Amino acid sequence: MAEADREIIKPEMMKSYIWLQTSDGSLQQVEQEVAVFCPFICHEMHSGMGSSKTYPISLPSRVSPAMLSLILDYCRFHQVPGRSNKERKSFDEKFIRMDTKRLCELTSAADSLQLKPLVDLTSRALARMIEGKTPEEIRDIFHLPDDLTEEEKLEPIKNTIDDPRIRLLNRLYARKRKELKERERLKNVEAEEECVDERSVEDLLSFINGGDADSKGVKTSKNKKKNRRRKDPQKNTSSNDTWTSNSTSSSGNAADKKESNGLDSICHEHDAAARDDLLSNLGKSLKLPNIDDSFAPDDEFDAGDLDDDIDPAMKEKIDREVEDFARRLNSDWPDRMQEILSLGQERKRILTANTCNGSLRRYARLDQQQK
Amino acid sequence: MSSMKQRELPKVPCKLEMEVDKISNLPGHIIDKILSHLSLRDAVRTSLLSSKWRYKWITLPHLVFDNQSVLVSSQDQTLIKNKLVNIVDHVLLLHSEPIQKFKLSHRDLQGVSDIDRWILFLSRGSVKEFVLEIWKGHRYKLPSSIYSCQNLIHLELFNCLLKPPPTFDGFKNLKSIDLQHITMDQDAFEYMISSCPLLERLTLMNFDGFTNLNIHAPKLLFFDMGGVFESVNFQDTFQLAVVSIGLYTNTGFECNLTFGSAGNLIEFFAHLPRIQRLEVQSYFLKYLTTGKVPGRLPTPCMELSFLSLRINFNDIEESLAALCLLRSSPNLQELEMLARPEEQSAVRAPANVADEDYENCPFNQLRFVKIAGISGLRQELNFIKFLLANSPVLEKMSVKPIAMDGGWELLKELMKELLRFRRASVQAQIIYLDP
Repeated sequence: MAEADREIIKPEMMKSYIWLQTSDGSLQQVEQEVAVFCPFICHEMHSGMGSSKTYPISLPSRVSPAMLSLILDYCRFHQVPGRSNKERKSFDEKFIRMDTKRLCELTSAADSLQLKPLVDLTSRALARMIEGKTPEEIRDIFHLPDDLTEEEKLEPIKNTIDDPRIRLLNRLYARKRKELKERERLKNVEAEEECVDERSVEDLLSFINGGDADSKGVKTSKNKKKNRRRKDPQKNTSSNDTWTSNSTSSSGNAADKKESNGLDSICHEHDAAARDDLLSNLGKSLKLPNIDDSFAPDDEFDAGDLDDDIDPAMKEKIDREVEDFARRLNSDWPDRMQEILSLGQERKRILTANTCNGSLRRYARLDQQQK
Repeated sequence: MSSMKQRELPKVPCKLEMEVDKISNLPGHIIDKILSHLSLRDAVRTSLLSSKWRYKWITLPHLVFDNQSVLVSSQDQTLIKNKLVNIVDHVLLLHSEPIQKFKLSHRDLQGVSDIDRWILFLSRGSVKEFVLEIWKGHRYKLPSSIYSCQNLIHLELFNCLLKPPPTFDGFKNLKSIDLQHITMDQDAFEYMISSCPLLERLTLMNFDGFTNLNIHAPKLLFFDMGGVFESVNFQDTFQLAVVSIGLYTNTGFECNLTFGSAGNLIEFFAHLPRIQRLEVQSYFLKYLTTGKVPGRLPTPCMELSFLSLRINFNDIEESLAALCLLRSSPNLQELEMLARPEEQSAVRAPANVADEDYENCPFNQLRFVKIAGISGLRQELNFIKFLLANSPVLEKMSVKPIAMDGGWELLKELMKELLRFRRASVQAQIIYLDP
């Protein structure tokens, strides 16, 4: 019945029309062949809508009348089958010349009508506007609020996200820092190795028993560390020597120390929660320098445990390093991380080169290639 | 540290239409689309724009690490490599699953253990497209974790060594594989191809480790191969529609003929009933001449519409093979015959294809012909004459001779002959292109 009406009204037109209604309530009549270029309208039509004024196809809210007319212009051009690719491309280039606000609206409208070619076209245009520009310029173009804190801008890793991967990263950094500090200490301790090794078992036992008067937990953990330490120098002497002998840059050691202090500062910025996690995972055998534990000064081996307590000088140093680190962080963040991580890699490479012939060959070849 | 927290007051939201931020609230899949048109570096930098944009990039479906997406300006190779490794590590850690496509193709990256690590990471996810191009150094041996990426749909490797573990059972979802400059065992290759049930596209260029190709892939549609091989056999490839094969060496395949076999030409086409486009490149036509070359194939290639042959017109075997092919392709629409350059200038062979071999054979669909690299040989002219006389709907034939010193006289003769040939099609244009 409705169709008959329509045909009577427009007898001279061979085309059929369908009715569309935008979110503001206004109605429009559009040639069917043009409108069905949009999948959304096509589907609606197949379910029987749009054939008359009383049953128009309701378009999604993101399609305003202005956007609809733009979209229909696009459809009207492209639904003609005979056009060459060159013609289509040139039409597209002219079509998307509009201000960014309209471009965004058009993208949104085309997306809600499922008109994929137009969405692709507008997305590409928006991408071209973002490409190669500085953040300030982009914010300007799209009117974005500049609401990130300086800190957030510099930190690509957001600490408050409880993401296990980020916590893993934090742990890795902490472990590297710990290793670096170990190296430092081992180098310092080597000089004093003689006296450490000559302690008899009785001395040790008395030391252990005598230390019970103080905070037990602290003492035992410290002892554990001590034993480990004594084993370590013997095991690692060779590798340690290798390391020091192989460090090519003269400022190698100084740089390492700086690095390890730099990593200290990372720990400062972490949540206490993250730190506690680190502790539990690393085992209580090694305490982090930021924990303010004080040890009995009459323990003669305290001199060797530089990292167990924070003497005021160290604290000051740490504070200075934090500021230094903050300043350095203002420059390229990836550069910093690259230095830190590459240090770890170098050390690993040299260590394994001495222990495994296979990998030595492999690394040698890599070196050759890098030349 | 508190001094670092300089919080800028956000702009008072302006009521003017012009100042409204319209882009940040677009749906996620559209933002992904926009960001995917940017280089990775630009996409990640959008995290600096505003608080809403901070994590928009981490849902990027495609991660492409190549020379465009990561700009590291330095001359020191180690520094570049370290920076690169760092960037990939960071991006992978911050990105949220799923990664649809991962492409690593940076010219300065050679670090082997890093790539192993990244592949292991990807294998735990559901990556669908994996592209790895190693531009420098030896063949990179892929770690075993790549073979457990069962969501892979497209795999592309350049300069790699493939050694699947014994437990490898194929890629169940793989549709397209592109291997260039790879090394692999014969058995491993055959098994891999035959145990990818959905494989539709196979590209294989410059391979070592195997010389006999047995392609068993029932769903294969597209096959593009170039390299040095002794034999190529298709099994059950009944859907194969587009084939392009280039054999880069002139020798090595004659001895491979088994007693009683019908000859390479017949064997080759026996398993390609639906072939639509065929390119015979380099010396592959010579390979096809091994064994018996019939006048016509037992079953014609009814669907063959495009044929491109690299041919040595001096070689009578090849000419006969070409004729056989032409006679078996009644529905051919487009034909290219390109002369192999280095052999053309050789001694003109006295033996010619007998005139009766050019018996009438209508090409009812042939519209476009391109002949290139000719030098006025009798054989060439015979072919052209044959084609012109048998193509009633021919629209365009372009002829391009090879550049020869002092060959102008010969070319004049050539042109004169061309003009004289009878044409079956009234619309046929013969276009002479300068060498």
